Amino acid sequence: MAARPPFSSLRRWRSLPKLLTTGLLALLSATVLLVLLPASGLSSSGMSASPVAAADPVTVRVLMPAPLADAVAAPVAQFNASSPGVVLEVIRGPLDTETISDLATGSLLLGEVPFDLLLVDVSWLARYVAAGWFEPLERWFGPEVLAAMEAGARLGNGLDGHLWRMPLTGDTGLLYWRTDLMERPPRDTEELVAISRDLQRRGRVRWGYLWQGRQYEGLSCVMVEVLHGFGARWWNGSTARTELDSPEAVAAAQWLAALLQDGVSPQAVASYAENDALQSFAAGDAAFLRNWPYAWREIEKGGGPVKGKVGVTAMVGAPGEQGGGTLGTWGLSLIKGSPHPEEAVAAIRWLTGPVVQRQLAIEQGYAPTWSTLYDDPDLQRRAPLLTVQRQALQHPQLRPPTPAYAQLSDLLARQVNGMLTGQGGSGSTMAAAQRQSLQVLRSLAGPAGDTADGRPAVDR
Amino acid sequence: MKARTASLLLMAPALLLLAAVFLYPLLLYGWLSFQASSVLTGLEPVPNGGANWGRLLDDARFWTDAFQTLRFAVCSVALELVGGLGLALLLHRPLRGRGTLRALTLLPWALPTTVMALGWRWILNDPHGPLNAAIRFLGGSSYGFLSTPATTWFFVVLADVWKTLPFVGLLLLAGLQTIPEDLEEALRLEGAGRLQILRRLTLPLLVPYLALAVLFRLAQALGVFDLIQVLSGGGPAGSTESLALYAYLNAMRFLDFGYAATVMLATFLLLLVLVGGSWWLWRRGDLQGRREGAA
Repeated sequence: MAARPPFSSLRRWRSLPKLLTTGLLALLSATVLLVLLPASGLSSSGMSASPVAAADPVTVRVLMPAPLADAVAAPVAQFNASSPGVVLEVIRGPLDTETISDLATGSLLLGEVPFDLLLVDVSWLARYVAAGWFEPLERWFGPEVLAAMEAGARLGNGLDGHLWRMPLTGDTGLLYWRTDLMERPPRDTEELVAISRDLQRRGRVRWGYLWQGRQYEGLSCVMVEVLHGFGARWWNGSTARTELDSPEAVAAAQWLAALLQDGVSPQAVASYAENDALQSFAAGDAAFLRNWPYAWREIEKGGGPVKGKVGVTAMVGAPGEQGGGTLGTWGLSLIKGSPHPEEAVAAIRWLTGPVVQRQLAIEQGYAPTWSTLYDDPDLQRRAPLLTVQRQALQHPQLRPPTPAYAQLSDLLARQVNGMLTGQGGSGSTMAAAQRQSLQVLRSLAGPAGDTADGRPAVDR
Repeated sequence: MKARTASLLLMAPALLLLAAVFLYPLLLYGWLSFQASSVLTGLEPVPNGGANWGRLLDDARFWTDAFQTLRFAVCSVALELVGGLGLALLLHRPLRGRGTLRALTLLPWALPTTVMALGWRWILNDPHGPLNAAIRFLGGSSYGFLSTPATTWFFVVLADVWKTLPFVGLLLLAGLQTIPEDLEEALRLEGAGRLQILRRLTLPLLVPYLALAVLFRLAQALGVFDLIQVLSGGGPAGSTESLALYAYLNAMRFLDFGYAATVMLATFLLLLVLVGGSWWLWRRGDLQGRREGAA
């Protein structure tokens, strides 16, 4: 017994794979038969939707992130009450911008789109247009419509000579400051750091400046502002290439790295998204905050220690440079192949119109796009950020308006977050980001990526 | 000869199907990985002279994900093997209600992954999940389990082990039942202890089943997608992202089908090397064992 080789009983097992294989093959053969046999019988019964009766109202569906969907609930009800024959239905999408884009992309790729209108973030537009998913809107909205909007709100809606999106909000990145700690907001990045360090030295506040340093698209929005503020640019529209390794771009990255090294910003900024930074600022931890307009409502609603002590200003740049906040607007686009474009456009007209924008400004703090709303004294009183928002809309910064933005943003945010967590200096970080960006463009565009013959930039 | 022709004919539909669902996509991926097929080319394939592969080599995200996927697979499969062996040994013993127990252990395996991942996400929710409620009940404060890379990773592995342990356990249990009881009895009569029996008899005879479990589970774990997509979305900051998730994002989020095919194919090659390598190692060990046995 003991002399029996330990593996001799494997012979019994050896039949297992054979058995498994035979079983699998039999199963697959059966599947083939099952698929082939009933196919002919099924094909006739599949698509037999009854023709819509003439009296039935047309349903127009629009997909939006849940908070915006809730915000427009009352105007949507108004629209439905006043337009017989059309039912506007809002599909509440996920909160996260990328998740809702994934959701929309999934339907659009499959070609069966359960919505007629999509609320589009400015950073998606180039990609969606390049994929051919939108219907141009200039048939319904002439140049005079956009001309009635603030300069910044007009950006990011057109591409290749067509209008693809009607803007609903005119949001930009803003600089929040504490009115109880300083007389006036800083005019440039140097003042911002100087005021922070002075306040920190005197023990008035723990941290100077809070922003979004997590490895995600929000960090790319910060980068757009800082790069512009230092006279650099991420994207060159005429060459369709990135310029991330310019001396100005390295200086911009260095400024961010120094904020952490010098303790003006906490190390935790490297893991902060919008809400983390907002919570910390609202708790009174810092003198400055970079965020979107919604943050002001949150601070005032929250009733925390800094309520009523917060001012808002346009994003600052380096001394001698014009600062500018990242454009973060939402707008409505018409899906190509929508069965009732006229009704859908009527919904766009209403939803992006002054009545809805007014309500969004009062209730949610979203910046309007129409110039007349900024001149409205009643609205100015009820939406105190209006003046600053208008000022910020004079010099907004677009994220690279290329269909490749998502990849470029991903790798820049990855590189810069690595720098913030001490994995490299500003020079090597930006050099790597530039190298990888060019690789991405080449791999995306084929030979065209080398000759830099990309698509024209949005509105540029 | 006739029987051979007949069997070939009978197998032909299955072989054709296999070619259609495995070989054809593989060849297509190979071709697509040398094309630019993205929004910049109007989603049409345009040859880009291997730029995708050059990009892959310098793509920090790909290599980070490769490492993370491998780490996930090795850790979860190792834990599943150890735990599954324990489970199998336990269920092999004559217990009262053994049948019911065996059926019960299969429950996690029977649950769809997305459902169980959603369940785990709820358990770990900060601050409303039951785990945080328990922590607060014990006097602690809520913890963002899914916003810290280390804890997120830990729970992704735990969820996977929790779900697939029964599968490994059942596979090994089947192996245990092929071991003749008289062998064990003979060893015991000659004075072998429990551990000795396990080491000298049970484990060697279980090797084929262990290898099968490793192959199945490794192939599955290296392609992990649904669990991570639902439980953590690959976050925080990409710290739990797997290669399959990255390939999915390239195709579905970035609309970059050329590069998505490259990532998928590279993943397949990595998997082939790993699974092929472990199979080769095992065979070598097996042959050696037999040669020693014959000597």
